[in-house]
Amino acid sequence: MFELRKEDYMKYLYEVAVRIHEKEEYITELDAETGDGDHWLNLDTGFQKLTEKLEEWTACSYAEFYRNIGMTMMSAMGGSSGVLYGSAYLKTSKLLEGKDVITPELLGDILEGWASAIAHRGNTKPGFKTMLDAIYPASKRYGQAIEAGKDCKTCLGELKRGAQEGAENTKNMEAVRGRASYREDKSVGHLDPGAVTMAIQLECLAEFIIENCCK
Amino acid sequence: MVKKIMNDPKDIVDEMLEGFVFAHKELQWFKEYRTVAVKERKEKVGLVALGGSGHEPAHAGYIGEGMLDAVAVGNLFASPSPDQILKAIEAANRGKGVLVILKNYSGDLMNFSIAKELAEEENIRVESVVVKDDVAVQDSTYSTGRRGIAGTVFVHKIAGARAAEGAELEEVKVTAQKAIDHIRSIGISLGTCILPGLKKPGFYIGENEIELGMGIHGEPGIRKMELKSANELAETMVDRILEDLDYRKQEVAVLINGLGGTPQMELYVLTASLKKVFAREEIAAYRVMVGNYMTSLEMAGCSVSLMELDEEFKRLLDKPCMTPALRIQ
Repeated sequence: MFELRKEDYMKYLYEVAVRIHEKEEYITELDAETGDGDHWLNLDTGFQKLTEKLEEWTACSYAEFYRNIGMTMMSAMGGSSGVLYGSAYLKTSKLLEGKDVITPELLGDILEGWASAIAHRGNTKPGFKTMLDAIYPASKRYGQAIEAGKDCKTCLGELKRGAQEGAENTKNMEAVRGRASYREDKSVGHLDPGAVTMAIQLECLAEFIIENCCK
Repeated sequence: MVKKIMNDPKDIVDEMLEGFVFAHKELQWFKEYRTVAVKERKEKVGLVALGGSGHEPAHAGYIGEGMLDAVAVGNLFASPSPDQILKAIEAANRGKGVLVILKNYSGDLMNFSIAKELAEEENIRVESVVVKDDVAVQDSTYSTGRRGIAGTVFVHKIAGARAAEGAELEEVKVTAQKAIDHIRSIGISLGTCILPGLKKPGFYIGENEIELGMGIHGEPGIRKMELKSANELAETMVDRILEDLDYRKQEVAVLINGLGGTPQMELYVLTASLKKVFAREEIAAYRVMVGNYMTSLEMAGCSVSLMELDEEFKRLLDKPCMTPALRIQ
């Protein structure tokens, strides 16, 4: 169905860095409504640093590559995003030991691993109005589509829509974690910027695979 | 575009630290870790703080004799990463363990939890306390709960003095926690601030508006209200604090903290207004500190913190300290 090689993953990272970079105004505006306005800045700093380092990692294994991504995100992004994305990549690097491609099934395990690493490190659950509310439904719907034996585009379409709709649903949620929870209205009526940027990344990943790797 | 004295915005934190250690030669800098620490190593419990940039002089300004030993400095308004915090813990450790003074933010707590695991693998004893002094946020065991704001400076002072006396890690922790339990703060914001590198402010405040209870990162507070006189502001702020913890008929330490964009003149006017409210509420001010202790870039506004004092706290508060941002002799 598809094979996502390390070289492909690098290209995806370059692309997602551009997409994040372009969203300064939109994300900062969202964050201004409920948070402190630094989410885009730190995420962008992390992704720029990541793209600067990618060339140094051409020779390493896929698992090592994932570990490097995790460590770089953790240290360059800082804040909550850095530690959550960092934990997600570090944890799922173990799934890549001895592998040189990500298959559709393995991608399902990785997405599930991301969701569980983020839930664990952030001590959060679906419905708390966080980035988990984008990755969790995305991972679930992708997994179900794979299990049902759907084709490449359908499965990745489920991944994309799960992320988008999940992020959209944070609008009606009450914030339990993070700065949005300080408001007396718990930020109901506002999108969660962390869920939105997670959705941007998952959307980008799904589109990248459809365009470049689906057979 | 806002005017700021800077070079490339992405270098702003490193360049600030470079200037900071040039000015304060008694401190050292682990450049690649954005960690600042005392040079002189004394055998005592180590004290570490961590936090994002943009709050200067917090927290690196509180490193020195009688206060902190090392601070990990994050990106703007964002927690430092686990490797940075680990470096600060290592730098502060003299074999008697390290107490990390945290403020209650999800990012700070998560990054610290990883750093603690790493430090314990190196056989460093690490304990922590979490400051949550901001009465603008309801405390809760379910959600993130109350933020830590400028009252943290009292915790640095009290814990620092206790550690300097030669107390053991557990004792320093108990005293720090006791201080936290007796500190409450409330802030007001008159204006916004723009993160270096961004085109727009991260939040907005209207022309004749102020926001009661806004956080030190511009997180929304309790409510927006019309700008009032200093006397009325002092009453509103103290009332809000007293609703949460009754300081009436108590001796207190007071911290009147500017957020970066408010002149000292206005802070002292507010101090005079507070004096009247204290007289009415029979609150005895034992020590009053006025200045920019924990800022939010160029935000206009201030916070008021109260700490109820007993004999132990008075003794610890009066002990000398010598740091870039606080000197008591």
